[in-house]
Amino acid sequence: MRWTYSPHARRLLTLGLAGLVLAIVTRRPEFAGVAAPALLVLVTWPADRRDRVSLTANLPAGPLIEGTEATVRVSISGSAAFAAAVEVEPVDGVLSGPAEIVPAAAGEQDRVAGIRLMPTRWGRYSPGMVLVTFTDRFHLTEGRALVQLPYINVRPNPARLDSGVVLSRLPSRLGEHPARSAGEGAEFYGVREFVPGDRQRRINWSATSRLGKLHLSTFAVERTQHVVVIADETTDVGEPGSSSLDLVLRGASGAISHYLRGRDRVGLVIFAGRLSWIGPGQGERHFHRLLDLMMSAPGGWERASGLTRLPRAALPPGALILIFSPLLDPRLIEAIRDLRERGFSVIVVDVLNAEPRHDNSRLSRLTTRMWHLEQQAIRYSLTQIGVPVVHWDGVSSLNEPLAPYTRRVLVAHR
Amino acid sequence: MSKGAGADAGLAGATRLPGRAIAAVGLLAAGLIAWAAYPLSTGRGGTKPAFAIAIVAAVFSVGQLAMRSARTRPWDGFSPTDRAVSRLSELILMVPWAELLTIAALALEALHPAPPWHTAVLGVALLGYLLAVHLAETRAGASALRAQLPLLGIGIGLTALAVGVAALPGLPAGPTAALIRAAAALVAVVVACLAVPVWLGRR
Repeated sequence: MRWTYSPHARRLLTLGLAGLVLAIVTRRPEFAGVAAPALLVLVTWPADRRDRVSLTANLPAGPLIEGTEATVRVSISGSAAFAAAVEVEPVDGVLSGPAEIVPAAAGEQDRVAGIRLMPTRWGRYSPGMVLVTFTDRFHLTEGRALVQLPYINVRPNPARLDSGVVLSRLPSRLGEHPARSAGEGAEFYGVREFVPGDRQRRINWSATSRLGKLHLSTFAVERTQHVVVIADETTDVGEPGSSSLDLVLRGASGAISHYLRGRDRVGLVIFAGRLSWIGPGQGERHFHRLLDLMMSAPGGWERASGLTRLPRAALPPGALILIFSPLLDPRLIEAIRDLRERGFSVIVVDVLNAEPRHDNSRLSRLTTRMWHLEQQAIRYSLTQIGVPVVHWDGVSSLNEPLAPYTRRVLVAHR
Repeated sequence: MSKGAGADAGLAGATRLPGRAIAAVGLLAAGLIAWAAYPLSTGRGGTKPAFAIAIVAAVFSVGQLAMRSARTRPWDGFSPTDRAVSRLSELILMVPWAELLTIAALALEALHPAPPWHTAVLGVALLGYLLAVHLAETRAGASALRAQLPLLGIGIGLTALAVGVAALPGLPAGPTAALIRAAAALVAVVVACLAVPVWLGRR
């Protein structure tokens, strides 16, 4: 750490020296008197300064979510005789509050400063620098220590999704969605005639008395659903903070958390410069694995081949495929067609909220119009092969665009 | 990425301008320039340039404090206007305007024929201005200067002594001169009484 004169000391020194010089030059002793208070304060310059100071920054355990607040604790040990002021210089996309220093308790050397931070963008980055300024009681000397805060993992803020899409045909695994067959469940399915071996507690007495024969109620079997979320990270267009990549990640994490909460088996495919995927699974640990994959996947700037055919291991038969994409990469369009040809039920959430910039020239208007027509054609062609395309603006919840498919079961056509 | 829409007001409000302190700095700067420069016509050669420098320094010192408080970064752009604004911002932040104003005000006072008490008042005003700049810069309250108060008191006493010393030779014999001499001796005793405990306290 480097100790220097404080700006206050420099200003007092200027006043003192200027007064003395003018007193000599003009032979007017009152200028020496002007210099006196400043020079007298400077006499108290502290000679004893400790050079070694230890700073420790502790971040909250676990990942952060964009838009939520976290407190960083900075411990300062050493130079206890000097007052410490902690200041944060956050990077773009991070808001910080004032640091509040808690004085050291009796018998302790460390002082602790709590700094409130709010990351407003996802990613892995250092939230900024911490500047600790030590000053003596007369504010004449300053010691500055600049420390970079450790890297944090900020996850995208998951989009709200209250009711998910459920397929009509579900795999034979125990779950929470009532399927279209009778079994051990809670939802009423129908009434049939009693056969020996049936449980007596399920006898439907009103049907029995009406028909004169023993009848019993049947219930729908409850099954789980395989959901594979495909996040298209090949392109990132639009305004920072609400770009297509931001919306893809927010939408995908919202869908993942919703389906995992409903005890479905969820997998993730990252469609970027290279393909990364994790097969369907359940549980809290699986949720963290999926989000870690989403955050660690490389961007889509490299042009890798072999993306058009998605791996069979990542896509269990009968799975619901939810694709979050701006639909700008032709390889993904081909991959969606391939999925549909293989019989998967696919829903595309279109997150494109930008268009190419254009001036008002005739050529520019024409090219923009052609671009719009091309985009419409892509979406129309997907709809024609049985792939619904819904548009999400990133502002509202995912409930609105997915509402036509969440109110009833989605019939899977092969 | 940009800042999120749901930014917490408590976090965003961390960079509040210390308006009253900056206003105090501006008023003190204006006052001490007026005190040192008035009347402008009686000044020797170099008064007007010193006056102009003092005004520029005062304006930019207030601007510097406001920019530092608002934590505005230098303008970032490519057009000639943007670059000019960027250069001006850097200049305002870089130059020690308060020091420049101190020197210019003292030079203005030296260029005027003024009685010693006039210079002493300017000295006290300059000290107040520098302390106000310090408080505005650090966003501290006036209580931050409590430790310096005895020393400042002693220093102002010394200023009074210096004024007395400067005034004594020109005084005519009589009861007024005797009174001023007695007051100067009293101030010397008070300064000594204040200085000794502070000096012992440091030991």
